[in-house]
Amino acid sequence: MNKKQSWYLLTLLLMFLTSSIAIAGETKLEMYLWNRYTYEKVGDEIEESAFSLERGYFRLNHKFSDDISGRFNLDFFSSDKDTDVHGVGVKLKYAYLDFKNLIPIPESKLTFGLLKNYFGTIYDWSYVVMEKDPADKYKFISSTDYGMSLYGYIPNGMGEYAVAVINGEGYKKAGDNVNTSPAYLANLRFIPIPGITIGGSYYTKKKGTDKTDYSAYALVGRLAYAPLDVQFEILSKDDDGTVSQGFMIMPIIKLANNFELVARYDNWDPNTDEDNDKQTLIIGGINYYIMRRAKGKPAVMLQVNYENTSYEDSSKDSKNKFIAQLRWEFSTKL
Amino acid sequence: MQTKKTISIVIMILLITTQAFAFQWPWAKKKTNTLTITGSTTVLPIAQKVAETFMDIHPKVNISVRGGGSGVGIAALIDGTCDIADASRPMKTKELKTAREKGINPVETIIAKDGIAIVVHPDNPIKELSLEQLKKIYTGKISNWRDVGGESGAIVIVSRDVASGTFEVFKKLVLKGDKNRDDALMLASNKAVATTVSQTPGSIGYIGLGYLSADVKALRIDNVLPSNKTVISGEYKLARPLFMYTNGEPKGFVKKLIDFILSPQGQNIVSDIGFVPIK
Repeated sequence: MNKKQSWYLLTLLLMFLTSSIAIAGETKLEMYLWNRYTYEKVGDEIEESAFSLERGYFRLNHKFSDDISGRFNLDFFSSDKDTDVHGVGVKLKYAYLDFKNLIPIPESKLTFGLLKNYFGTIYDWSYVVMEKDPADKYKFISSTDYGMSLYGYIPNGMGEYAVAVINGEGYKKAGDNVNTSPAYLANLRFIPIPGITIGGSYYTKKKGTDKTDYSAYALVGRLAYAPLDVQFEILSKDDDGTVSQGFMIMPIIKLANNFELVARYDNWDPNTDEDNDKQTLIIGGINYYIMRRAKGKPAVMLQVNYENTSYEDSSKDSKNKFIAQLRWEFSTKL
Repeated sequence: MQTKKTISIVIMILLITTQAFAFQWPWAKKKTNTLTITGSTTVLPIAQKVAETFMDIHPKVNISVRGGGSGVGIAALIDGTCDIADASRPMKTKELKTAREKGINPVETIIAKDGIAIVVHPDNPIKELSLEQLKKIYTGKISNWRDVGGESGAIVIVSRDVASGTFEVFKKLVLKGDKNRDDALMLASNKAVATTVSQTPGSIGYIGLGYLSADVKALRIDNVLPSNKTVISGEYKLARPLFMYTNGEPKGFVKKLIDFILSPQGQNIVSDIGFVPIK
């Protein structure tokens, strides 16, 4: 991120803060910070052994009325991998307005701005393991994008649905970097009986300046029966004829109210027409909730993960990672 | 090699899964005679009194009762950290969805009814307000007692915080989608509201019927004074049911406790504390 962009984001933040104070309503400030130690070895080589602020969210939620509310979110970290800038990296992650009751569908809302992408599990990924959501990790879709969406609940808590029209380029691209064809997204999750969730998402767009075809789908499932909670996801995308497929399974066992064991297994094939390019990811870890907020969300949490990435191609060394993270989150009303 | 590894991982996951179901984990040995009730501060006095009486009848049962607000109780039920969630409002669709996703099946039992009494300091000469005036006071369109027939003086707004079911119901029945005045004091319990109003001459607040005392004065709303009789008859508009939520149909001592609350003895307790029995 260059200086000009940083000033732009800072100005936006100040504008939002001052307008929040001036306009009647409720403003809530939330902070999410992840202090991390990472030790990574590829083959016999140590690639990383470092402390970092892996991620931070500075979030403001403003409620103008029962029907109109907004969210502004800055995403910051010690190192910006996209620009190779160190010290601090900042990105605009959310900037949207929600309108309830604007259309006559009960329990629904229309959202405009830089918003969540309702695809697979990316929009409610809560990082019970430290690795990203599979659709995010394997570059199916960005976690947020510019556009508009309709989101709603199925009556009696039986699930949720969403449809969206977005730029299709993610939150890191704007202006003339974005092609003129919008992307379309549909998502449905259904909970037929408590503890069983099934659902799917479909996403299609024209990609890049030459507008090649791109489509992706995700099938999700969840089986929750205390103390076990298992999430599944099957992903597939067709990027102008190149088909990629994969799946994830993630079991969580709650051993006590403040302690859980987590595991994840990913199998990923970036090109189904090519041999020897598959990879697998295995994660095992623990989550210890040192403190929780009033409604059970984590306040201070210790996460420890071991990750192993191995490749079908035997000439590639497997990657081993040990990560310990202190995650702290708080919110306050301004 | 790859296939072998995949198979071993799948076996590992299956083992963990089957063990979780089959093994008698320490947390599964939770004593069935220990109950936790969490949630609404409106329902709190009912839950406390009923728990005391129930423990006298069943000395081997230990019941822990906590407040926190309806939202906190419902979150605890969803997280599996309480047996009964007290609520002074029905569960929201979002909460139901989250509960069902996590394998929780919230079952609702109405245990009593309550009127939301609008209270002022006993020295305040005002005796009644219309619902419209009440809305204007809470949204800041009326800010002086003089404008509703009282003596000149600023109105201090006392409200419940957003975790409160009473707040949700008040918002729905009185504010009808509008917002509280920005400088409203947002307090965490009915008791805190009653105490603040009793000590602040220009204030107005709202509390459950069970918290009425000589320290505050209840106002007539649209010409009706809050009481058991006017809540039952439906004349008093600011009324709501009170709930207890359980995960699935109540069983064991949870069922016995809820049956006790719904029994004539339990409903007498509800009435004695100042709430409205449903039977």
